Amino acid sequence: MMHCTMEDLGALRAGEASVWARRHITTCATCQAELELLYQRVSQLKALPALRPPRDRWPAVQATLRAQRSRRRRTVGAWSGSLALAAALAGILLVQPWSQGGKLHAELSQAKQQSATLEDSLQQYDIEGRVLSGRTAAVVADLEDRISAIDGTLAQRQLETQQAELVKLWQQRVDLMRELKHARATRARYVGL
Amino acid sequence: MTVALAVPDVLVARAQAGDEAALEALYRAFETPVYNLVRRMLRRPEDAEDVVQETFLEVLRSIKQYRGEGHLWGWVRRIASTKALMRIRRDHVRATESLDEEPGKPGMHVGANIDLERAFEQLSETSRAVVWLHDVEGYTHEEIADQMGKSVSFSKSQLARAHARLRRMLDEGAHA
Repeated sequence: MMHCTMEDLGALRAGEASVWARRHITTCATCQAELELLYQRVSQLKALPALRPPRDRWPAVQATLRAQRSRRRRTVGAWSGSLALAAALAGILLVQPWSQGGKLHAELSQAKQQSATLEDSLQQYDIEGRVLSGRTAAVVADLEDRISAIDGTLAQRQLETQQAELVKLWQQRVDLMRELKHARATRARYVGL
Repeated sequence: MTVALAVPDVLVARAQAGDEAALEALYRAFETPVYNLVRRMLRRPEDAEDVVQETFLEVLRSIKQYRGEGHLWGWVRRIASTKALMRIRRDHVRATESLDEEPGKPGMHVGANIDLERAFEQLSETSRAVVWLHDVEGYTHEEIADQMGKSVSFSKSQLARAHARLRRMLDEGAHA
């Protein structure tokens, strides 16, 4: 005698069974028992106790969220800073002879170029949506905060800041970004990217 | 496990405004149900923990986009299950294992008195995911197929195969 398959039993449970299966189940005690077992298994699965996380992941989630917020602030600061800086540089170059400003200008351009290159290379280690340990996230957040602080200084003070100081600030920014890249590259290697 | 989580609207509004205490309160409210869901779907506890973290990063980052349509738990659950399924797919790709392949344990013998929970753990992650999402969380085959990027018939056949396997393991355990 032909019996219901598990597909048939599942369809019966869902109210989508074939005419044959619906008719068969009314007369076959074996299939009735199988269907009852299926119902019982589902009930038992639903009644399984909740599994609880073995560790608290909130500190890691919180640190990553803070780092992301800091990065967003930094991005906005960097854009406004870059625009204002460009305007300030244009003014400085107009009033300073090339012999005095040329070297500093070259150093400033170089630091900005290095900064832009590091920004690009950091994109490949973008941590959005990836898992960071609490310690790594804290290091990244700290570096991003420090970069953000420099960006804030650049954005607020550049109009009255000497070019030599601008060069120093941009070079500090480059150094911090190198550290940031190293932190993210280490993590990326750890997760096998 | 049936989850009936109600989160006050004011808490959601505070979280949407970026209040960190509210974000943590949301995390605490859904931490266990999210872990339970993904742990039932995934074989390794450490994978489940990673998916919990990924889920909450997404939830808390996107909470501003939550418009209040439907239950918040439904929204969180959807993100969690999607991320767990992505993990299953990624791991299968890495292991060059077919998505619908049972992992198989040569010579595995299910001992006497095996209970349903242990039998369930023997299933492949794909089977576990389909069974849990359909039978416990109440997803339709259409929803599961959509989330897995597979057909409805794939979801149905996975469910049937999984139940047949559970049935067999429990039967063997009872008669061992």
